[in-house]
Amino acid sequence: MQREGYVPPTAGGGGATRPGGYGDNPRQTAMKYLCADCGKSVTINKGDPIRCKECGFRILYKERTKRMVQFEAR
Amino acid sequence: MPPTKKSVVSRSSAGQAVFDTINREKRFRNPPADKTAFPALQDAIKPHVDSWNAVFREGGCLHQAIQDIGEKTVFDKLDGNEETGYGNKLTIRIANYYLGKSMLSSRDKTAMKREIYPAECRERHVSYRGQLQLELHYKVNNGEWQKEYRDCGLLPLMVMGNRCHLEGMSPKELVEHKEESEELGGYFICSGNEKLIRMLIVNRRNYAMAVVRSSYAKRGPSYTNMGIQIRCVRPDQSSMTNVIHYLTDGNITFRFSWRKREYLVPVMMILKALVDTNDREIFEGIVGLDQREDTFLTDRVELLLRTYKTYGLYSRYETLAYLGDKFRIVMQVSPDVSDVEVGKLFLRKIVLVHLQNDGDKFRQLLFMIKKLYSLVAGTCAADNVDAAQHQEILLGGFLYAQILKEKIEEYLFNIRSQIRSDLMGGVKVEFNSPQYMRKMLGKVNERIGESLHYFLSTGNLSSPSGLDLQQTTGFTVVAEKLNFYRYISHFRMVHRGSFFAQLKTTTVRKLLPESWGFLCPVHTPDGSPCGLLNHLAHKCQVATTTSDCSHIGPLVLTLGVHSAKVLPVPAEATLSVQLDGKILGWCSPRDARRVADCLRFYKVEGTHNVPKDLEVGYVPVSNCGQYPGIYLFSQEARMIRPVKYIPLDKEDFVGPFEQPFLNIAVTDPEIKSGDTHVEFDPTNILSIVANMTPFSDFNQSPRNMYQCQMGKQTMGTPGTAIRHRTDNKMYRLQTGQSPVVRAPLYNTYGLDNFPNGMNAVVAVIAYTGYDMDDAMIINKSAHERGFGYGTVYKTEKYDLAEKSKSKVPQLAFGYGWAPIGADQQTLAKFKAMRDKYSGTIDDTDGLPMVGQKVVEGDPIAVYHNMGTGETFFFKYKSSEDAYIEEVRVLGNDVGDTICQAISVKFRITRSPVIGDKFSSRHGQKGVCSQKWPAVDMPFSESGMQPDVIINPHAFPSRMTIGMFVESMAGKAGALHGFAQDSTPFKFNETHTAVDYFGHQLRAAGYNYYGNEPMYSGITGQEFHADIYLGVVYYQRLRHMVNDKYQVRSTGPVDSRTRQPVKGRKRMGGLRIGEMERDSLLAHGTAFLVQDRLLNCSDYHQTWVCRGCGSFLATTPIVTAERRAEVRCRRCAVRATEFDVGAKGYWEDGLGNRYLGGDNTTVVVIPYVLKYLDVELLAMGIQMKYDVSP
Repeated sequence: MQREGYVPPTAGGGGATRPGGYGDNPRQTAMKYLCADCGKSVTINKGDPIRCKECGFRILYKERTKRMVQFEAR
Repeated sequence: MPPTKKSVVSRSSAGQAVFDTINREKRFRNPPADKTAFPALQDAIKPHVDSWNAVFREGGCLHQAIQDIGEKTVFDKLDGNEETGYGNKLTIRIANYYLGKSMLSSRDKTAMKREIYPAECRERHVSYRGQLQLELHYKVNNGEWQKEYRDCGLLPLMVMGNRCHLEGMSPKELVEHKEESEELGGYFICSGNEKLIRMLIVNRRNYAMAVVRSSYAKRGPSYTNMGIQIRCVRPDQSSMTNVIHYLTDGNITFRFSWRKREYLVPVMMILKALVDTNDREIFEGIVGLDQREDTFLTDRVELLLRTYKTYGLYSRYETLAYLGDKFRIVMQVSPDVSDVEVGKLFLRKIVLVHLQNDGDKFRQLLFMIKKLYSLVAGTCAADNVDAAQHQEILLGGFLYAQILKEKIEEYLFNIRSQIRSDLMGGVKVEFNSPQYMRKMLGKVNERIGESLHYFLSTGNLSSPSGLDLQQTTGFTVVAEKLNFYRYISHFRMVHRGSFFAQLKTTTVRKLLPESWGFLCPVHTPDGSPCGLLNHLAHKCQVATTTSDCSHIGPLVLTLGVHSAKVLPVPAEATLSVQLDGKILGWCSPRDARRVADCLRFYKVEGTHNVPKDLEVGYVPVSNCGQYPGIYLFSQEARMIRPVKYIPLDKEDFVGPFEQPFLNIAVTDPEIKSGDTHVEFDPTNILSIVANMTPFSDFNQSPRNMYQCQMGKQTMGTPGTAIRHRTDNKMYRLQTGQSPVVRAPLYNTYGLDNFPNGMNAVVAVIAYTGYDMDDAMIINKSAHERGFGYGTVYKTEKYDLAEKSKSKVPQLAFGYGWAPIGADQQTLAKFKAMRDKYSGTIDDTDGLPMVGQKVVEGDPIAVYHNMGTGETFFFKYKSSEDAYIEEVRVLGNDVGDTICQAISVKFRITRSPVIGDKFSSRHGQKGVCSQKWPAVDMPFSESGMQPDVIINPHAFPSRMTIGMFVESMAGKAGALHGFAQDSTPFKFNETHTAVDYFGHQLRAAGYNYYGNEPMYSGITGQEFHADIYLGVVYYQRLRHMVNDKYQVRSTGPVDSRTRQPVKGRKRMGGLRIGEMERDSLLAHGTAFLVQDRLLNCSDYHQTWVCRGCGSFLATTPIVTAERRAEVRCRRCAVRATEFDVGAKGYWEDGLGNRYLGGDNTTVVVIPYVLKYLDVELLAMGIQMKYDVSP
């Protein structure tokens, strides 16, 4: 699919390489999900077990992307 | 909505053919907090849930099973015997069991709620299970019982059963727990799939059936094809089949199978072992006072008694000891038990196990012998094992209990063998030491829950006894939620057993009158499972409890039945009265009728403690018909159905055994004198799905069968909790409508919650030329307004733990990294990779972005090895474009690891395209051939255009008059704005459907017969004929071209034959078979055959030797002039050093020298020919080809 994705501006700009030859590692490692039980937003860091921080539920939903999603309606 | 209106919400429009839109909307917005609005749905799956509850309730089947297993013993001396003693004796038994609800493991410390609800199991692709615990008791010698609680793994639980969190929840609570508001349960969740144990038809329990079967004669020399078979069922619902065989000399043997092996015992030995008896008593028990002159019978009984004398066993104890001695090894009893005790155990565990009393067993066995001699003499007919009369239903819960019982017993055996292997291995065995016992039990396989899980997920039965069943596979099916019809049908489905599927005879598949009202005559698939896979009629229930019949015995004695215990019975008392296989007494044929009538009256009236679901099977005396008597049945697994009892005008439940002998009128006007019952409704004989066919009585019957098939393949609404479901594949119709034409049962079963199609304006006209052969044309504008628009959801689980196979996670989602000190080029490659995939994958967590479109080959998720930093991808494999609908990040039970699994739901849009399949509800399927522009569609005088055009030729041969009637009814209903009742059997010759709906049409200003003048959309001219135009409910079927089309020019080939592979999945080709080839030849297009079968298939050029005609002897060489040539090794001759450089001289790769063999050439052959050549060569056959010119 040929399409330009709209990337919302993030602080600091994207794609800076970290020192130490670690390739293109993201700075941002925490990710927000929605708990499937209580519905609260849960922040999961890299290395965190998958659990709702509020209720301890075991399923998290990924939120719909904030990026603009655009298709040709044909 | 204020809470005071709750009761309004749960009120349903059951039994009325109305739209009831407002209430439906209210129910959707505010699910009832008190009770379900559709109790009929709950009743439909009742057999499943109730059988589970009957097993696991207090004092239920499983408790009885544990009782039945009893004690096992083991000694701590291996070579003990009577003189030396056996050593210390350890007795073990299971005293009780505990089955918990589905709970989080105690290792989890963080969760607030400990319950695991079914919805979570579906979403996490895990199983819905509860902890099973056994209370193991053991004692050493005659000491105290010691208690030990053993965890036996997690046992799969039935949803809505009495161990489910959802049991008894109101629709409102169910919705809160992410279920359907009308969640029914009755299934298990195995790895996220909904599995159910399907109902199986088995022989009726505790009834001695006369069977004539040719295989009986193969039991051994002098065996005949006649026997009496009785399937005895213990209170824990496990069964044991006993057969008595008739031998040509008049003797009788008793056969049973124990742990899959068959054993034969003289029937006299069993009789003598059961009670202290004598020959006279046996004689009198078999030969009634009225039969003393019957020399046929007396001769045989005399022989029976005489031949037994050869054993020289006279007393009961002698016989028991003899039996015990013979069956000691088979029964696996401990060595210290006496032979007599073993004999008693044999009788308890094997002979007529439904009875506890030996006297009852004795009398039943005598009755069986009587019946067998009657069968042999021809005074009674064989019972038909294929008729519903002699069948009952093995319910899922009971089968589950039987397996569980066997696993528990196996567990005790395992403990025993563990102790024995300890003894043999030289381990110090101390029964009195708790340490030893703990350690020993730790070594025994205790995973009972896992084996049940295996059973549910595979449907395979691994059992040492075979559970008295004829099959070992196919016990479970996935309850597919394709649409609601299919889903509910799974729970009403009864299978005859896969054993019968292989049978060449069709007798088992026949529709017999005995099934009336119990099994639906219409709802069975066509093709291989036809007649074997039936569905229960919608009013048919299956009993799941034993009714209290303690008063029946004394009651029948007061009605003039002679007690069975007094021998001889009076001469006129020739008919036996039996309750669940126990002989209560004997009575005369005249009294029998009165007894049966009284019992029926009492049971409907509800007096004299006669339970309402008692089956009073009165078989009258007939001329060589079924063996007469009164057979009462009160136990589980019987099919029962409600009919009206005319004398009391009250509901009576009848079973299939008694039904053939009752006079049941179908409708009130049909009642004649002598009829005792009348049906509540003639449609009670149809299944739920068959009842949904409108005006099915107008259709040719196979069309109704096809509709039952297609209704279940419709792309409909599987439910409202789609958001919380993760089915592998789910179909959904976006624009479902409530049908205008419907049966009231449609509302009773709440099917408006799950719409299955669309009301379409249908014109029956040959219009465009694109409607030949069941093709149909869809109005393009209707399509654009959403006619038939559907969606397919697919869920895929991406599991990292499966890939790494180590307990500690080694893989993690997200990108890996370049090695430390990598050069700029590698780093740039890394960056390029991320940029390339940033379209679908989220950079931060490596998971797909919700809402994104994916095409074939797109990455779904990225993961890396946490050690090496190496990056991998999960790719999207399907060729169809999809959208990421949901991404679930799944934690594990304990909550101690990073993300190891995700579940991604894809949405595939399926707008109707040319080639998609549609059907009306009358077995009239068609394929969309064109989407015709609205401007070119014909139009009626009021300016209406059809949504769908079908060809008139679809009707004459198929005779689906119901579709015409539906068309008229739908039109009238749409014009007047009401729903139409389409229940079959409502109209008759004087009150015709055409009249009824014609009047409605005329009242709306339309033509009485439903046809109207129409105008060509192209020329604007009126057609010469009026066109039949009406509203028909159309279903979109799940068979869509997008799943089916197959095309290739070149592609993968088979490595051995180099011919194209087959199968759409593998990008294979379509086969031009023999008939297709013939067709091409007949068309004079032989070159196409050449093209298809050679050029586009395994075209191959090869060298062949003209001289010897061989492919395989040719070998490529390089000549001295450095020219590549091919020579034949076979034709070449060995050259000497002197030939070097001579004409035709060559050397092979090993330096061998040859001369000649240069008469080779290239030919075109199919590659398989070469393969054939090699195969034949391997067998020592050489092929020689003549090559010309």
